[in-house]
Amino acid sequence: MIDLAERIQSYISKGSLQLVTFSFFIRLMYKKEDKEDKDDMQTEEYAIIKQCMDGNADIYSVLVERYKGMVYNIAYRMLGDTESANDMAQESFISAYIALKDFKKNSKFSTWLCSIAINKCRDHLRSKKDTVSIDEIAEVSASKIATPEDAACNRQIGHSIQTALNELPEEYREAVVLKHIEGLDYNEMENLLGVSSKTLKVRTHRGREMLKKLLRERGISDG
Amino acid sequence: MDKNMELIHKLLDGELSEEEKKEILDRIDSDPVLKMELDALSMAVHIVEKSERLPVPPSFTSNVMGKLPARKSSYREKVWNFFFKDRVLRWNMVTAAAAVCLAIIISAGVFKFQKKHDLISYANMPVESTSIVKFNLYVPDAKEVAIAGDFNKWKIDGNSMKKQDNGIWTIEIPLKPGVYNYMFVVDGKVWLSDPNAESYQDDGFGYKNSILKVAKL
Repeated sequence: MIDLAERIQSYISKGSLQLVTFSFFIRLMYKKEDKEDKDDMQTEEYAIIKQCMDGNADIYSVLVERYKGMVYNIAYRMLGDTESANDMAQESFISAYIALKDFKKNSKFSTWLCSIAINKCRDHLRSKKDTVSIDEIAEVSASKIATPEDAACNRQIGHSIQTALNELPEEYREAVVLKHIEGLDYNEMENLLGVSSKTLKVRTHRGREMLKKLLRERGISDG
Repeated sequence: MDKNMELIHKLLDGELSEEEKKEILDRIDSDPVLKMELDALSMAVHIVEKSERLPVPPSFTSNVMGKLPARKSSYREKVWNFFFKDRVLRWNMVTAAAAVCLAIIISAGVFKFQKKHDLISYANMPVESTSIVKFNLYVPDAKEVAIAGDFNKWKIDGNSMKKQDNGIWTIEIPLKPGVYNYMFVVDGKVWLSDPNAESYQDDGFGYKNSILKVAKL
């Protein structure tokens, strides 16, 4: 593994990009997870779910507090605006609570919750597609024309990465968000989306290709 | 997508065998266009991965908790609960006054009885020792977590917890034997019950206190 890192180091050109790519590979290699911690947590979460079903609804707030960041950020990356993200994230938690009896003990609560959130986002995007207002059409076409001001704005990477993500087809966006923002592996994504990991790999690869093109077109670099 | 690009994506996903790795790295070494593609892809991935996570609106948890539907219990559950569920006594002034009177009468009686028989010798009672109790809570997104309870007069800034690298907040508190009510306070405003608590009790404000029993050593 170290050999690989050295080789990667050696062929990449000098400058910040070198560090970027290098750190990416290093992380890839040393991504270890503390399995024991996770098992403990899973048992704890089953206990919380059992208590919720026994009528102690208050304890559900522990799960909300624990996963609100994950659900809210997935929703934001999928939908592109904070207001809908807030609504959909809240609805996801409420739907999960109502469906707790369907939660299977051999699965992870976070994965199950994630799939509920993704479905909520899909429904929301679909309903939005049916009712696109004239304003929104105008907004989209206006944003296509890049002015020097836009280019300056593009340097705010947080903003531009979202506009790039918004342009990806829904399925590619899902795959990229789960893989690279939430850090899931393909097996977890397969469980979550109910799509084979082979298909998900293709979607992720295509999504990455599109992102690469979009970022290149806008001249966005890592700064 | 051509074969080289496919291999580059697999390389990014860490899914290549040693042989394939060597093969693609050799090709990248000799082909500047391929190298540019890898650089651009790694950068796109890096930008996505380091994109900032948005902070969740502060009222999020309370909004969700406020919208949860009440669970309907079945007939069987109702019967079960009637016999076995922990009960909470609801007070009003009349029952409270009656209880105080009863307590005075009983304690007066006990006092008299003790005086008469003088059986209990307090001198032989052992000094109460303290135990170190460790509290844990996993809330990776929290900025600060504190514990408030009977032992610190419910001060929300009395005992701040420390965040471990794995997102679990912990604190160790020395406690004398006894029964303690407590809750966690996340970011100074969200009150959470302890999922690991032995039992729970309504606190009268719509939450459930966690209960800890510290036994005598």
